Amino acid sequence: MEIYKLSTWLKEYGWRHLVGLTFVVFSMYPILYVVANSFADFPNLENSKLIPDSFTLKHFQSLYGDPLVPYFKWLFNTYKIASLAGFFNVLLGTFAGYAFARLKFRGRRVGLITLVLIQMFPAFLAFVAIYLLFFQISDIAPFMGLGTHFGLICVYLGGSIGFNSWLIKGFMDTIPESLDEAAKVDGASDSQIFFRIVAPLARPIIVVLFVLTFIGIYSDYILAAVFLKDTNLYTVALGINVVFTDDFSNEWGSIAAASVIAATPIAVLFLFFQKQITGGLTAGSIKG
Amino acid sequence: MKTSTILKYILLGIFNALMFYVVPLAITYESWFLLLIIGIITFLINITYITNRLKPLKWITPGFIFLISFVLFPAGYNFYVSFTNWQTGHILTKTQVIERLEDLTYSTDEQKGVEFDLYVMQDSNLDYFFLADFDQDNLLFGKAVTSDQFEDIEYATHEPSFKDSNNNITIPESLYLLSGKEQIANSSTLQDLSILIDKNTRIKLYNISVFGASSGRIFSSQQKYTYDQDSEILYDNRKNVACTLGDRGNFVCGGELVDPGWRINVGTENYHRIINDDRFRGPLSTVTEWTFQFAFLSVVLAFIVGLLLATTLNNEKVRFQKIYRSIYIIPYAIPAFISILVFRGLLNPDFGLVNDWLDPFYQLFNIEPIRWFRTEGSSKAAVLLVNTWLGFPYMFLIVTGALQSIPNELIEASKVDGATPRQSFFKITFPLLLVSISPLLIGAFAYNFNNFTLIFLLTGGGPPIVGADVSVGYTDILISFTYNLAVSGGRGVQFGLAAAVTTIIFFLVLIISAISFRYSKRLERVYGNI
Repeated sequence: MEIYKLSTWLKEYGWRHLVGLTFVVFSMYPILYVVANSFADFPNLENSKLIPDSFTLKHFQSLYGDPLVPYFKWLFNTYKIASLAGFFNVLLGTFAGYAFARLKFRGRRVGLITLVLIQMFPAFLAFVAIYLLFFQISDIAPFMGLGTHFGLICVYLGGSIGFNSWLIKGFMDTIPESLDEAAKVDGASDSQIFFRIVAPLARPIIVVLFVLTFIGIYSDYILAAVFLKDTNLYTVALGINVVFTDDFSNEWGSIAAASVIAATPIAVLFLFFQKQITGGLTAGSIKG
Repeated sequence: MKTSTILKYILLGIFNALMFYVVPLAITYESWFLLLIIGIITFLINITYITNRLKPLKWITPGFIFLISFVLFPAGYNFYVSFTNWQTGHILTKTQVIERLEDLTYSTDEQKGVEFDLYVMQDSNLDYFFLADFDQDNLLFGKAVTSDQFEDIEYATHEPSFKDSNNNITIPESLYLLSGKEQIANSSTLQDLSILIDKNTRIKLYNISVFGASSGRIFSSQQKYTYDQDSEILYDNRKNVACTLGDRGNFVCGGELVDPGWRINVGTENYHRIINDDRFRGPLSTVTEWTFQFAFLSVVLAFIVGLLLATTLNNEKVRFQKIYRSIYIIPYAIPAFISILVFRGLLNPDFGLVNDWLDPFYQLFNIEPIRWFRTEGSSKAAVLLVNTWLGFPYMFLIVTGALQSIPNELIEASKVDGATPRQSFFKITFPLLLVSISPLLIGAFAYNFNNFTLIFLLTGGGPPIVGADVSVGYTDILISFTYNLAVSGGRGVQFGLAAAVTTIIFFLVLIISAISFRYSKRLERVYGNI
């Protein structure tokens, strides 16, 4: 009887766990490998393995101090660029979203359709034009020309503002308008309604969009590669891939350590907001 | 006055100051178009925020300025660039080219004055310096450079401190004085070097002496080209010929093109090249074909894995569902540029772990190990494998979500009617699933269509297609191919051509999105609140 039970369990559910576990191995293997390697004591890629013989912190230490490989500067640059661009992106997006959701005006429909149309094209497609434009801006306004963080932030700012204001507008549509009207009766101005009522209620979407925009900019490669030329100004995506990969095999330990430091905060952030982000997935947003 | 009003005027003031800061620079560089844009933006911003009439605009303007300047305008500019010959040798405008040509000089070999003592020194960077000793009051010192560095170099300066009261040369410790023998050993380098006194006069090493001080002489040079604005003729002063305007954005001197040229409008020539030029059309059609295959297979593979996992685990009686789910989401949570790097290590053909595991198979079937990234097939397989890893969590999440929204009664009803589980899956669940997630699948297709990061960081587009006229590889997709045209050197950059290819990608994305919209209900929601 017991054996019969076991075999039905295997037939009904056992194979499901087999498939499930196979893909657990598939998805976790590369991650465990890089984490183990960042702590493992080995000279190069050839001698690396999943379960190391002995542990060391030397790969993490090697990221300090070499002026030719300013890893922590890259990390700082990336956080600076992604948080500034992310903050202003969502701030300006919230302003625009509010106007589209609550204020009635001529051109509103055209504006909305423009947002939807622009949102279809990834902003980086025009990278040739962006490069050439900033190449010329460099002469006139060097503080935001090619190779500067300010210019790159401007490009990122424009990049997803349409998308964000569109989603914020959609969320604000679900906030009952009777709230504003009650406030209006009490004599509140547009900006009071925005700052006191609508924006606080829209906080969930604002936070999620900030996180998504931040992660998107953090992970961007092409625009940073087009824009930044000075090693000291690199973002971490650019730095790891341009500088470390010159001598891939021998640098493997440093690559692993650098990867772990760069990926952990983002993965934690993502998993923390998992529910909200995956909730938004089915609404059509795709992580960049 | 309220604090918010004061804040408003402060911000407005900062904005205006920033704009006016750029005005004189724009005038210096004769950028009239930029000046016009600055004028319009400044005017609109001030009108919007000072008057109280345009309330909605107050909220929209800041975001839209960035949207228009850095998304819409570049898209339009890209279109414009695609009609120019903007490429290596045609980077500058005509005015800039004339300025640059008029700055060029050539050595006339005409010597002025007499010989004088010249000392040759080197610093720790092994850069050369000359000290020309005319007399006590005229000691000229400067960095010695070749003629192509003249533009960046400062003129030689008078350095009386290099001589002491006994008229002996005393140089700082940071410099090393070369002996006559050492000068002879390096004479081939030294003979090309000079220090500049002014734009047209320079000092060269003239005669190396082993026993005493070497000597130098003054040489003068002359402006190579002179431009006449009225007749639009450029005179080559050295060859003594007149150069006329060519029709490709160059000056032409007796059949020869003067380099650099400037960028001009070439009409649809770039598009003609894409369509008609065999050397270009061949690689481009290979790339386009692979782009579609890659995007399609990426979506299909990730979808199959996601569907398999979702249907397998979407059963109330399967335990540990939450644990499975949180593990599958991890690949999605890691920035792609990191995961790709890790896979490059794993798949490395010489040292990678993947080939280590496969070794028993290689031995058993007596086959050669896969040379990942070095052959067309293995590179394409690697790209798809990695993209499946990156993409299946997303598919798993959306399929799970869609499955849970399918009413259970439908499945139950089909069971009652005698359908097998397989029948009810393929006849009911799967079609319903496709309806609800097809817009997302098309979205994923469009995303992968331009998945630059994956291709560029994993294979760099390689392995290269041998014999192609442009730099292109077997795994290049349209966007990485365009990047190579515009950024990578080798055969020079071709912005015009790259912009033309980008314009084509724009239209392809437009078509894909149009299809997506037909499936999507998103627009209906737009119309809901318009």
